Amino acid sequence: MHEFWHLLVWSSVAWYSSVTLYVTIRGALDIREMVKRLDATQEEEDDPTGGTTQR
Amino acid sequence: MPRFSWLVDGSIVGLYLLGTMMAGLWLRKRVRRVEDFLVAGREMNLYLGIASLAATEFGIITCMYTAQAGYTQGFIGAFPGIAQAVAMLVIGLTGFCVKPLRESGAMTLPELFEKRFGRPVRWLAGVVIVMGGLLNMGVFLKIGGDFLCLVCGMDLEYLVYVMTTLLVLVAVYTMLGGMLSVLVTDFLQFAVMSAGLLVVTVLILSRIGWERLVDTVATHHGSAGFTLPLQTGTGWTYVIMQVLGTTAATLTWQTVVSRVLSAKDATTGQRVLTRTSFFFVCRWLIPGLWGIAALAVLGWKPLDSLDSAQRDALPAAIQEKIAASPVGQPLAGLTPEEAGGVPTAVQTRLGDASLHAMPRFLGSFLPIGLMGLLVAAMLAADMSTDASYMLSWGSVIYNDILAPFRRGSWSHQRAIRWNRVIIGLISIYLLVFGLFYQIEGDVWSYLLLTGSIYLSSMSVLLVACCYWRKANSWGALAAIFLGAAVPVAHLTMEKIPDLAPLAARFGKDGAGIAAFAAAALGMIVGSLLKPSSPDTSPPANASSHA
Repeated sequence: MHEFWHLLVWSSVAWYSSVTLYVTIRGALDIREMVKRLDATQEEEDDPTGGTTQR
Repeated sequence: MPRFSWLVDGSIVGLYLLGTMMAGLWLRKRVRRVEDFLVAGREMNLYLGIASLAATEFGIITCMYTAQAGYTQGFIGAFPGIAQAVAMLVIGLTGFCVKPLRESGAMTLPELFEKRFGRPVRWLAGVVIVMGGLLNMGVFLKIGGDFLCLVCGMDLEYLVYVMTTLLVLVAVYTMLGGMLSVLVTDFLQFAVMSAGLLVVTVLILSRIGWERLVDTVATHHGSAGFTLPLQTGTGWTYVIMQVLGTTAATLTWQTVVSRVLSAKDATTGQRVLTRTSFFFVCRWLIPGLWGIAALAVLGWKPLDSLDSAQRDALPAAIQEKIAASPVGQPLAGLTPEEAGGVPTAVQTRLGDASLHAMPRFLGSFLPIGLMGLLVAAMLAADMSTDASYMLSWGSVIYNDILAPFRRGSWSHQRAIRWNRVIIGLISIYLLVFGLFYQIEGDVWSYLLLTGSIYLSSMSVLLVACCYWRKANSWGALAAIFLGAAVPVAHLTMEKIPDLAPLAARFGKDGAGIAAFAAAALGMIVGSLLKPSSPDTSPPANASSHA
């Protein structure tokens, strides 16, 4: 079992390092895109009377 | 002695806090609708979702109890993480329950249940979710404060100030920006947290070495530190509870559910789960390794956690038994009479010895500079978790518990204001509960048991709601009552001296399994007893009658 845990520990370190790098880059792009979409949606929905929530 | 330098490490932490607050406040003006506040306008994309889910599901509390599991059980302490990773992968790949949930258009689980089981079930489900969730997160702040005080070498008397400062910072940006702020700060916190976790782990592996870690586990735990204890009844109880609990958590834990519901579509929600699944192995294994390293360097010396006056007050024979106790069970060698003679404050300190071992070890192991990175990483982990949990349970209070009391339609401004008030009240509760409640036994078992107040019934309700045509409101109500009654009864028994031995014999895992069994039985019997009604379509079609 020692080998199993050895492999799992190093797999975790390797996987986590690469995912951190990748997700940090792609996540930043996602935030930019989300903000753009929110702005666009809010511009479309903007009306002087304001919206109401649903129950 | 802890090596925290207020100049170097303090500057790193200060920089992180400044960045987080700026990021958190940046999006507050874009919160115009209540959907923006609660589910980020359903605009969350895949990688932001992964970062957010990972950051939310890893707090200081996680680091503390997973390190405690490594310290007291060895490598096998990471088993719940493996179980959760498998559950998340399978659910993400198949879309089991989460696909119909996202497609229903609901903002919370109880909202989905209303479509199938009616309004009373929605309200009751909301109450149970909030009760379980708040009891669960009630201990987060105190344990986070414990960690920071120990690592920085501060006296635990400063705990209340550390807790309050942390809470105020988190509450400010969560109340102002809701889910939008939470997502962006989660992203930043994911990057800082991950960098800290990885650097510390690599340092431990290189300085202490793999062989020493393996030898430590073999010496203190034997083969049980590497393999599941399936040869005993308690071993099976533990395994079954972990599998049930982690699967149910993936399906119904409000912070996971809110990420699925914030995704721009069902496919994105499923991908967030699939691609985050292996993170749950890391989430248990990496801090678990820190716990094993603490055992290797500090050893198991529970008496060292007492001050000299407390230690001198204990008879020599009792001190010897405590010193020779198995790791993590300081009172295991004492007779009931001997244990009864140990003052409560001393028992508490001894009980916390395994929990505090990892931060004590890191406080003396890491060099200046890396201490700052570690503290920033742990602050990041904790703030993202606290913010998300406050928002998630606040959303259920607003959306489901207060729903019957909201007459007519509310303006978005009024709805957002109420959500902010709810989050403020949850913050106050966290501070008060964290200061006064003392956990019995290990932290993970407490979290799993308090979570099972709702995990058991809500997972049964969700599965039945999605896939069992005969499920109805009677079954749902019976499942909710029975699923909550067992863990609440167990927690109460633990606090009553005459009943505490019975609760201990049954165990938290046994109580958790009983909760799942009771909820399932309630759903089946209740549903079969109710006369059949025409509206029994599963919610995969719910959007059509929403």
